[in-house]
Amino acid sequence: MTRWAMAIDLRACVGCQTCTTACRHTNATPPGVQWRKVLDLEQGEFPDVKRTFVPVGCMHCADPPCMHVCPSTATKQRADGIVTIDYDLCIGCGYCAVACPYQARHIVHEREFAYADGPTKSEEARFDEKRMSVATKCTWCVDRIDSGLAKGLKPGVDPDATPACVNSCIANAYTFGDLDDPQSNVSQKVRGTTWFRMHEELGTDPHIFYVWDEK
Amino acid sequence: MAADVRKVPEYCYQCVAGPDLLQVKVENGVATEVEPNFRAAEVHPGGGKCCVKAYGLVQKTYNPNRLLTPMKRTNPQKGREHDPKFVPISWDEAFDLVAGKLNELRAKGLLDEVGYPRIAASFGGGGTPTYYMGTFPAFLSAWGPVDFSFGSGQGVKCYHSEHLYGELWHRAFTVCADTPTTRYVLSLGANTEASGGVVAAWRHAEGRMNRHLKRVQVEPHLSITGACSAEWVPIRPKTDPAFLFGIIHVLLHRHPREALDVPFLKDHTGSPYLVGPHGYYLREPQTQKPLLWDLRRNAAVPFDAPDTDPALEGEFTLDALELGADGETWNHTGVRAETAFAKLVRHMAQYTPEWADKVCDIRPGTVQRIADEFLAHAQVGATVDIDGETLPLRPVAITLGKTVTNGWGGYESCWGRTLLACLVGALEVPGGTLGTTVRLNRPATSRQASVRKGRDGFMEYPMNPTDKAHWAERPTVRNAYSTLVPLSANSPWSNALGPTHLAWLFRDGSPEHWPEVTPPDLWFVYRTNPTISFWDTAAIARRIAKFPFIVAFAYTIDETNWMADVLLPEATDLESMQLIRIGGTKFVEQFWDHEGFALRQPAVAPQGEARDFTDIATELAARTGLLEKYNRAINRGAACAPLSGEGYDFQLAIDCKHTSEEIWDRVCRAASAEVTGGAATDGLDWFRANGYRTRPISRRIWYLFLELRKQGIRFEMPFQERLLRHGVELGNRLHEHGIKWWDTQLGEYQALPACKDFPGIWEKDAALHAKGAEYPFWLVTTRSMQYVWGGNAGIQLMDEVSRNMRGHGGVVINTRTAERLGIAEGDLVEVRSYLHDTQGPAILREGIRPDTLLMIGQFDHWATPYAKDMKAPSMNSLVPMSIDLTDATGSAADLVRVSVRKIAA
Repeated sequence: MTRWAMAIDLRACVGCQTCTTACRHTNATPPGVQWRKVLDLEQGEFPDVKRTFVPVGCMHCADPPCMHVCPSTATKQRADGIVTIDYDLCIGCGYCAVACPYQARHIVHEREFAYADGPTKSEEARFDEKRMSVATKCTWCVDRIDSGLAKGLKPGVDPDATPACVNSCIANAYTFGDLDDPQSNVSQKVRGTTWFRMHEELGTDPHIFYVWDEK
Repeated sequence: MAADVRKVPEYCYQCVAGPDLLQVKVENGVATEVEPNFRAAEVHPGGGKCCVKAYGLVQKTYNPNRLLTPMKRTNPQKGREHDPKFVPISWDEAFDLVAGKLNELRAKGLLDEVGYPRIAASFGGGGTPTYYMGTFPAFLSAWGPVDFSFGSGQGVKCYHSEHLYGELWHRAFTVCADTPTTRYVLSLGANTEASGGVVAAWRHAEGRMNRHLKRVQVEPHLSITGACSAEWVPIRPKTDPAFLFGIIHVLLHRHPREALDVPFLKDHTGSPYLVGPHGYYLREPQTQKPLLWDLRRNAAVPFDAPDTDPALEGEFTLDALELGADGETWNHTGVRAETAFAKLVRHMAQYTPEWADKVCDIRPGTVQRIADEFLAHAQVGATVDIDGETLPLRPVAITLGKTVTNGWGGYESCWGRTLLACLVGALEVPGGTLGTTVRLNRPATSRQASVRKGRDGFMEYPMNPTDKAHWAERPTVRNAYSTLVPLSANSPWSNALGPTHLAWLFRDGSPEHWPEVTPPDLWFVYRTNPTISFWDTAAIARRIAKFPFIVAFAYTIDETNWMADVLLPEATDLESMQLIRIGGTKFVEQFWDHEGFALRQPAVAPQGEARDFTDIATELAARTGLLEKYNRAINRGAACAPLSGEGYDFQLAIDCKHTSEEIWDRVCRAASAEVTGGAATDGLDWFRANGYRTRPISRRIWYLFLELRKQGIRFEMPFQERLLRHGVELGNRLHEHGIKWWDTQLGEYQALPACKDFPGIWEKDAALHAKGAEYPFWLVTTRSMQYVWGGNAGIQLMDEVSRNMRGHGGVVINTRTAERLGIAEGDLVEVRSYLHDTQGPAILREGIRPDTLLMIGQFDHWATPYAKDMKAPSMNSLVPMSIDLTDATGSAADLVRVSVRKIAA
């Protein structure tokens, strides 16, 4: 079996938002819709303060609450763990957006442009009517994974089979791969470090591992 | 569905921390995506990645606010309040206007009645516009004298003092840690993770994850880099010299001498040189060589005598010559003298770490602890082999930020940093503090080749002369760098490394006994917006409005080209062509294991009538009768690489116009020949397909110590005899001409700098102009990767993602300070200096000192589309421009005393 997972090393992340923009490019999301973004968090009181940058997005949970509340069965989970949305089935009710504890889902009802005058050439070229009034979220660039696999490439290793955020990271904070393969880079990263998963107490079994120290 | 999909290799050099290599996806002729150039990971030290700014290039290309046709001004009145009433014109009319003016000026003479070049030019940060202006440098070369001294904000916005002192001490126009090897970085305000580009982010992250690289970030607020550091020390602004001096004290007075790198100090620095009673080196009378005390002979010998064991410390009696300023000499008999190092030890005794903790307003014990850590990490005595050369391994480095290196206190900070590196033998060696770039010395292509031994055993340095016979009494350009700043040297970069704000400041009236500073008859502006990026920006705008003829290569309307007479829309990043050099070592952390060339090419057709910069330059050359000189300049190498060399000749015919493609094809062929030793001569088509071509180089060029060791040259530390002499002479020259307004600056020329009350300079300046008001806070700025080095304030994507980072668009204030002042998160606050005020929403944070406010970036736009609607506060209009706040190198600092009050909830 294959179970895709991601590890993000918080020691490396510099909060540059390169992954945010790379995701916006690759997935042609409209202004303000960031399937991937980096939070800027602060803990402590002056002068004992820590500031941490935390990339967030869909956690591709093993037990995804968004899927359970979906009344139209648009949200599904593949055998490899990727949580998907079928835009043809989605009715845009927003239950999933409310149910997701990670605020990972977005619904846009009107076309938004970078500039007030209307779409730029690139926005016009990439507009997808199917994305209107349906829930959208990070897909882990599933198209790249599938087409890459079809070409014999290895997700997490070969760029053409790897999520755009992982490819773009200038600090090498991201690791992506098959958690069921003990030799995969993500398995080795998880095995060799100390990590947490976000809101693990909710029982969603999220599949982004936040590394914060060595083992 | 997309029928035609291509990936086009490009480079991004929007910031000085580049270039990054990338690919642009083009679907049916429309650029849609940016992605890393994954193949380039084989040569690029940042994994072939590009940073967030590169992802703005697609929007930049299709921004509906772009100017897509040449324009001319129809309103003769200039100023912020006057709509320029630009109207579209043809390229032919635009060329007629510009060339007509150029020909008129050429007929009058290249210099104006005061002696300044009639033409001035300002380009943006760090020379990066050069990587987008095609062959325009060849046009400027063909023209003759051009005044670059107005600058675009450097002096506050660059690492000004570091550039000058760095070049003097270790050919380090820019200074950085040897990040791949170092284990401990002491960073005083260096915002590396925001401004060091991909390579810095990549290397530091690797160090944190895999090598226990520890960085201590010392700064008034918790920056992005502070967030990525092991420790944050919230220092009081402008007390960095005290912090460094306290560490020096610990190393000199609280550790045994043998804990330092004594052999390095004895053999590779000026520490053993003997200093006379007048504060200059004691010299052998016959040769005038500085003397040291040889413990083997128990006698004074010239510094370069063979087989010596120099005394590092001690007091000795000898006969010697002492050379002062302006030829003054003293012949000493039986004079008592001590070594420069002994003087240093005594000088630093007063700067205890306990004193430093108090001055810096940090936790007691911090300076002592960090000094101990620094020394422990230095591994004094360790060595490493670099490609067959055994070098010291000293994995400790110190980096300095802009406000630390600039303005008063910059000299002391740079000196303290460089001295600390010398004390443990960590200057220009693996793991230590390195330079990457040489700009004031020549040749600018090689730090090693720029190293020549001077008469005193240190590196030669092309100081601007201060002796009576050679001092430049009349400035040759408007900022007077060669007259006032000996250290700024006289290279093509010196223009821009002088006190650029003096060119602006004196436009309102020259000080006593100083020539008039005339406006340039024609000012070229490209990729810079001084009306925003300078300081006291309202005054800058008023002064620009008085320039008679401005030619702006323009992307959109902005606050500077608002005052232009002609706007020329050049094809931008993804639309035009240029070959540049990559790799080697240069700027910030760009030291590579390869060197070569990379191409930027039209991924898409230029929008509207935007025209390739090279074609613009060629047409201007043709219409001004400079075509032959212009082509010759290109042949010589003004466009990246000389077109002929050993075994190849791709020179252009000089008597005719060549298209951009023809020119760059020749440059590509010459570059191929150069990088392959003549084995390949592939031209433009090859580079279009492959993007870049490199060859491997040895890391030995990263470490200048090797070259100094080879030539028997010492680092000029700790004693600054040469600076002292030039300072005295400069003072003599100025006083001979009745000039007293530079006297405070002359006080900076000290052989062993004292730590002064640097914050007090700003506090007193504010009090002097307060008129009863109080300005109890410091206002500082910081950078973010989305906007670092500017140029993209009108890009929506950058605005959108930057707001994920706390602090953009507002005024960052300490939580408890805000509570005390009744300010809540999001309240509109006014921040006021004695000069001006600005407004923005309050952003409450714990990661900032209670006495400090912070504004990110520089946003005060009132003309630039999109940016003008951001309504973000900016400190640039609040920072005064004055002689009083200018240091001896001609720099000031991004720092001002302010008040803050709530305007509305």
